[in-house]
Amino acid sequence: MSYLEALRLALRRLRTNLLRTALTTLGVIIGVASLVALTGVGEGTQAAITNQIAGLGTNLLSVNAGASTIGGVRGAAGSASTLTVADATAIGQLDGVQAVAPEMSVSNVVVVNGRSNTTTSMTGTTPAEATVRNYQVQTGSFLTDLDVEKGLRVAVLGPTTVTSLNTTPAAIIGQTITLNGIPFTVIGVTQPKGGSGFVNPDDTVFAPITAVQSRFTGAGALRTVGVSLTDPTQLAYVESEITSLLRFRHQLATSASDDFSMISQDQLLTVASTTTATIRNFLVGIAAIALVVGGIGIANTMLVSVRERVREIGTRKAIGARRRDITRQFLVEAVIVTLGGAVVGVLIGIAITGPVGATVGVPASPTLYGITLAFFSALIVGVLAGWWPARQASRLDPVEALRYE
Amino acid sequence: MADPTVVPTAPVQPPLIEGRGLTRVYPMGDSEVAALRGVDFRIELGENVAIIGPSGSGKSTLLHILGLLDRQTSGPYLFAGVDTDTLDDDRLALLRNRAIGFIFQSFNLVSGESALENVASPLVYAGVKRKERVERAEEALARVGLADRAHHDPSQLSGGQRQRVAIARALVTRPAVILADEPTGNLDSRSSADVFTLLQQLQAEGLTLVTITHDQRIADRAARILRVEDGLLVEEGAAAPTYLDGGHPLDPTAAPGYPRPGAAVGPDVVVPPVSGLAALGLGEQDAT
Repeated sequence: MSYLEALRLALRRLRTNLLRTALTTLGVIIGVASLVALTGVGEGTQAAITNQIAGLGTNLLSVNAGASTIGGVRGAAGSASTLTVADATAIGQLDGVQAVAPEMSVSNVVVVNGRSNTTTSMTGTTPAEATVRNYQVQTGSFLTDLDVEKGLRVAVLGPTTVTSLNTTPAAIIGQTITLNGIPFTVIGVTQPKGGSGFVNPDDTVFAPITAVQSRFTGAGALRTVGVSLTDPTQLAYVESEITSLLRFRHQLATSASDDFSMISQDQLLTVASTTTATIRNFLVGIAAIALVVGGIGIANTMLVSVRERVREIGTRKAIGARRRDITRQFLVEAVIVTLGGAVVGVLIGIAITGPVGATVGVPASPTLYGITLAFFSALIVGVLAGWWPARQASRLDPVEALRYE
Repeated sequence: MADPTVVPTAPVQPPLIEGRGLTRVYPMGDSEVAALRGVDFRIELGENVAIIGPSGSGKSTLLHILGLLDRQTSGPYLFAGVDTDTLDDDRLALLRNRAIGFIFQSFNLVSGESALENVASPLVYAGVKRKERVERAEEALARVGLADRAHHDPSQLSGGQRQRVAIARALVTRPAVILADEPTGNLDSRSSADVFTLLQQLQAEGLTLVTITHDQRIADRAARILRVEDGLLVEEGAAAPTYLDGGHPLDPTAAPGYPRPGAAVGPDVVVPPVSGLAALGLGEQDAT
């Protein structure tokens, strides 16, 4: 029996058991569609996180103040007041360093503009911040060297902060707002970076580090120094330079551990992509389980089908069907169900990837990788699920099969 | 010419079916049950043979072995002169497909397929093209008088009609022999008469017919009756021979015969005894 004949036979059989065929196919459709959709969502998550990290700055190396240890209790990283503006300036003189932005953070700053107010975090920094952290200004200008030198009370706002104040970037330029009651003049608004989560780069206030130092904390300690490199391949060299420099400046004994830490954007990306890859694999794994369950459904239906058709199998053997003819008949039936399910499942998967991504807040689109993976996994599942029942059918003893009631 | 002194004699056609001391033993737990305990028989082309015997006598087992659905435990079984022990499963399937037609007590039509598709199904396994399949299936259906029921599902047909469809399915490959297992066992008396008449006509046209039956009329009509009792052929005698066309069943030339590729045998046709399968058009054909 040719494959064409087996196909005709299988289609006829599937038509006569339409409901059963539909239900069996549904298992495959769900498996394939979720595989396509979840792969798309997984990839979308990865892309979103990668973009967000890339948006934080270019060739970035963050030097963080170390943890303070008071009475044997180790505080959080950055809690020690070890990094100073002078440290930042010294780092700026090292080889391979393009720009350095000392960052002095003040959290929970109440921003008041007329009758509107909001609470956000403030960073006291220098003009280099724009380069190091990859900020663009959409209206007005960023901080200037003069602002820092004179310690002027000027501020650059993030777009989210502007929105929180119920105003627009154009309207707020030149306005005087108060930060914890201290008046500042708004000179610029940054471009949105599209971030989300607990550290939103769009909900922030930048002010000259000198102004922040004198008006807010006054201690002169930095939480972070942002360093951008001239050449990203020199990362390790620059890191070792900074380590030696800071250890010397902080007069650490050889046995003492660093009172600061460094993380590069590359390391951050690696950590993030490892995490997102785990998430993606987890999603794909769930979808694969759905597909396997679909395959078990097929195997089950095929076994029932073989059981129901024992006499037919016996008859077919009596009229000249060989083992391989019987195997082919049942295998083709299983493969048709999976193929049909795979095609419909891929279409549905493509259709739902976007909406599924939207519900979890990730821009997702179907990937060729996901579609190919889903389609061929389904095909393999179908062949495996159909193979065993088909073999059972082909091995039936014709005499027994003909006698079967 | 090998030896001019030897006068060529009429070649000997091997019997279509020949069994010598056939046994069939089924394992039953620790012991064994012998369904056949040494059976000898010969059936020639064109014969009409009835196999009778009480239930459990082993006649179904015998028919399954004759039909190459089962293998004997011992004793050679020769089909068209070929020892079936030498044939593998695919080869046996091929023989069942080309040389044997089965008729079952419960018809065994495939529901969900039309009468025509049922009749054509053996040709699918024979690798016959679709167009020719339809033509031949229509021809076979016409032969059993069901041309107008070709597109009916078996469930829409009466018992007698179903059995006639099954007969058409057995005929469609132009087999050398039809093996019928209680062909009228599930039919009312009228349908049973129809089927009986049809089988007798086909036999009279030259078809070899082996029937397992309890139906006394079929047994009476058979040229020979093989009685199976307790796993043995205890009686082998001719019933009152009545033939529709008056020909003798042992003489293949008596009836024109149902067309069989390569099976036409007569005094002028030389059929070497060793190539019985070739005579049935099966000699060198590969399994397709």
